[in-house]
Amino acid sequence: MDDNWTEAGGGRGHTKSESSDRAMQENGIDSDIDFSDEEDFVDDITDEELLGDLLAKKPKETDGIDSVIVVDNIPSVGVERLEKLQNVIRKIFSKFGKIVNEHYPKGEDGSTKGYIFLEYSSPNNAAEAVKMTNGYKLDRQHTFAVNLFSDFEKYSDVEDDWEPPEAQPFKDPGNLHSWLTQEDCLDQYSVIYDGGERTAILLNNPTEPSLLEERARWTETYVRWSPKGTYLATFHGKGIALWGGEKFKQIMRYSHTGVQLIDFSPCERYVVTFSPLPDNKEEPQAIIIWDIRTGKKKRGFHCENASVWPIFKWSSSGEYFCRSGPDSLSIYETPSFGLLDKKSMKISNIKDFSWSPSDNILSYWVPEDGNIPARVTLIEIPSRRDLSTKNLFNVADCKMHWQKNGDYLGVKVDRYTKIRREKDSNKYSGLYHNFELFRIREKQIPVDKLEIKEPISAFAWEPNGHRFAFLHGENPRISLSVYVMEPKGKVVLVKTLEKKTANHLFWSPQGQFLVMAGLRSMNGVLEFIDTTDMTVMAQTEHFMATDVEWDPTGRYVSSAVSWWGHKVDNAYWIWSFQGKLLQKHPMDRFCQLLWRPKPASLLTTDMIKEIKRNMKKYSAQFELKDRMSQSKASKELIEKRRELIASFEAYRSKCEQMFAETLDWRMDARAGMGEDEDEDDLADETIEFLVKVEETVIDE
Amino acid sequence: MKPIMLHGHERSITQIKYNREGDLLFSAAKDAQPNVWYTLNGERLGSFKGHNGAVWCIDVNWDTSRFLSGAADNSLRLWDCETGSTISEVTTNTAVRSCQFSYSGKQLMFTTDKTMGHPCEIHIYDVNSFSEPVAIMPVHGPKVTSAIWGPMDNMIITGHENGDLCQWDLATGDNTKVVQEHSKQINDIQMTKDQSMIITASKDTTAKLFDVRTLEKMKTYKTERPVNSAAISPIKPHVVLGGGQEAMDVTTTSTKIGKFDARFFHIVLEDEFGRVKGHFGPINSVAFHPDGKGYSSGGEDGYVRVHNKFDESYFQFEFEY
Repeated sequence: MDDNWTEAGGGRGHTKSESSDRAMQENGIDSDIDFSDEEDFVDDITDEELLGDLLAKKPKETDGIDSVIVVDNIPSVGVERLEKLQNVIRKIFSKFGKIVNEHYPKGEDGSTKGYIFLEYSSPNNAAEAVKMTNGYKLDRQHTFAVNLFSDFEKYSDVEDDWEPPEAQPFKDPGNLHSWLTQEDCLDQYSVIYDGGERTAILLNNPTEPSLLEERARWTETYVRWSPKGTYLATFHGKGIALWGGEKFKQIMRYSHTGVQLIDFSPCERYVVTFSPLPDNKEEPQAIIIWDIRTGKKKRGFHCENASVWPIFKWSSSGEYFCRSGPDSLSIYETPSFGLLDKKSMKISNIKDFSWSPSDNILSYWVPEDGNIPARVTLIEIPSRRDLSTKNLFNVADCKMHWQKNGDYLGVKVDRYTKIRREKDSNKYSGLYHNFELFRIREKQIPVDKLEIKEPISAFAWEPNGHRFAFLHGENPRISLSVYVMEPKGKVVLVKTLEKKTANHLFWSPQGQFLVMAGLRSMNGVLEFIDTTDMTVMAQTEHFMATDVEWDPTGRYVSSAVSWWGHKVDNAYWIWSFQGKLLQKHPMDRFCQLLWRPKPASLLTTDMIKEIKRNMKKYSAQFELKDRMSQSKASKELIEKRRELIASFEAYRSKCEQMFAETLDWRMDARAGMGEDEDEDDLADETIEFLVKVEETVIDE
Repeated sequence: MKPIMLHGHERSITQIKYNREGDLLFSAAKDAQPNVWYTLNGERLGSFKGHNGAVWCIDVNWDTSRFLSGAADNSLRLWDCETGSTISEVTTNTAVRSCQFSYSGKQLMFTTDKTMGHPCEIHIYDVNSFSEPVAIMPVHGPKVTSAIWGPMDNMIITGHENGDLCQWDLATGDNTKVVQEHSKQINDIQMTKDQSMIITASKDTTAKLFDVRTLEKMKTYKTERPVNSAAISPIKPHVVLGGGQEAMDVTTTSTKIGKFDARFFHIVLEDEFGRVKGHFGPINSVAFHPDGKGYSSGGEDGYVRVHNKFDESYFQFEFEY
């Protein structure tokens, strides 16, 4: 504490007592009267009892101290420049309230010591000043460090023998990848049924799935797998929980009341949760980003009025995540969770954006604005360098589709010939369509154009390849076309299949095979297509199917009638990739089937080539294994059947015995004619059969 | 296996029954006239005229001398099989839902619906004196949707609206046992010839096999559609199930998957091994011929399809075990 300060305080106290003496005299009170206690008087009343209410109001030494702030790191100046400094300081700090007292401690040479004390008229002003000016940059050398005077005590009271908090013991969740060590590399899937009451994890065997885990009320709404399949997320009123490891134990909980939607970062480091409950102004919590492993909240965001989930889109590596505002694109970086380069990108009227699934490349598009054409732009993050821009005219809408490897970006552009501007929206007519196809891997990113006259209802890239497929035309004349991206700017039609019933396309994760489905309103028509020669391998139906999903290896396809979409015949069926129906699983109020994703293969392309070359050797091994497991299964089945029949026969023989015992009663009941033995009693009856009808015309 | 189609009813079939010898088949429908047919050629032998409402249930006694029918006109009639004339009639407060002769044929049982403020009741009558009931047992709780006599004529087994299966002791008139294995209404109960097991058909899309005395569930036969009727073969370890989507839901379900088939299951293994197509509406009643070589089904489409003899492959087929 500063010496001068205490002096000043003491001085003030002295003045006070003098003035009170004077007041007593003025009131004509004789000071000679002796008020002292009698000698044997014992004071048995404490002051507290006598005037407790007044004592409580007694001014304390620390009163007013709350209104004092200490500003450190101010320039040290000599006497001649003191006034100038004071003016600057007053200008900065009087914004927060009236400064009733200021003190500039000085050194022996009269120059200031580089820190000052300021007293406000109220503690609120002081607190506000600390909040706003701490870290204030006066100039390059001087950044203010501002504290409440009362905080000194708090900080000086830290005990000498303070110990850092103990590190929490590491909880070992076990091997989270244990499910990948399954011997036959069988895939898992989750199933919700009983109208959402029960959730099960099953292992997809070629013949019959085996149950791994089943729990009642595991989730309140639905479940989601993380992108690499490590975690299973369940939803609850209070937040979400992640499960994993060998026994599906709970790994972590993230408390977010009313959570409805979640999104994992592709690297499985973070999870984004969204709750539609009223937000807290001070501390945004509509959207929360969590660190999956520590369970710590990394940052909260306001929802504002975004309507499409995910609001935040992650870059493939999980380094960046991004949201668009009405006129800006905000890119955040991990692990700081701050804005990249501390500012959003100004892009007026940005409509939509999308990350490349493999690189730190972002695509976005903006609509036309007066004479400025609409444009699709690719930028590189974090440099924000424009890689490519494509100007487009007469654009009604754009949809961006990245190929899974990030080799191509297909933009479906809806264009108009006429436009009618109305109050809130534009009415377009004479729509036609075309694709703008960006070749990301080629120099300067050339763009090919493909024009389609008919409306396009579905579009999908082959995940590992150069083909893309789309459905065009209107019901009942829907066609499927498959094109291939050939080098040197050629986009070649493979084939068009006409008159199909379909509204969805599902490529195998391995490419080549394609399932074309007419879901929901189209009754669940399924067609399995090999796109190398466009043969339709199977044309079939899962009536009223609502969902189709490939397993992560591209060997199986599941089709499902979910209770959420259709109330009867809820079931999931499993097909081979060629469209052969393998298993049917009707389930009461079945809701959802989700295949557990797999992380990318660790094999290099050379190793995969090597395996493909030796395919014959492997396939022989696998076939042998399949045969063995099948014969084992049929042997088990037969044994089980034998057991069932034996126990049933034992029961039957008891029944027969009982039946024999009641013979007397039965004979009695039906007057001796109850049994079949009375065959002689039967009477013969003649029954006519119509053998044939002949019509003969008789001459009249 | 070509069936004989019996088209003698104007509305959907409610119940069919063979007589003990299997030469005659009785059928009832939502029109007011039960019919009797020769099973061998499908010729109609006669009709029972008298009811004024849908006939819900019928039965014939063991020597085919008497015929019983209960109807929505709040009456139960006892007929002379030979002449087709009404012998006696009981008027009830509500519709008669199920009826049956006892094993001896000396008594009969029927149940009434719980409607219009009247409770559901089980009535027992003596066949020869209709003036007074032998017993009336009121059923509290969910109404009876199907009922049969138990073994030795000393108990009644009832299936209820909520899926309950109950035993009633006739000596005391008490409900002695309740099991709930079905989650929805039990539409039909049929017993094996040796009076040891019963099969129940339920709207919950399953049929189940029970021990008749303990009501212990032994087997479950699963389908995807409400089961309206189920029967046990007298000679083979087979059961047949008939049912289908209710008319109101038909448009939302696939017709291609053949949900109106009669479906054959192995009684022990619970595996389905065969289907018979034909009806174009749900099957409401199935019955095995007493010789076990054929069966019949009656459907919502108003037809009775009589299959007198299964194909040879039916008799040759055996499960591997």
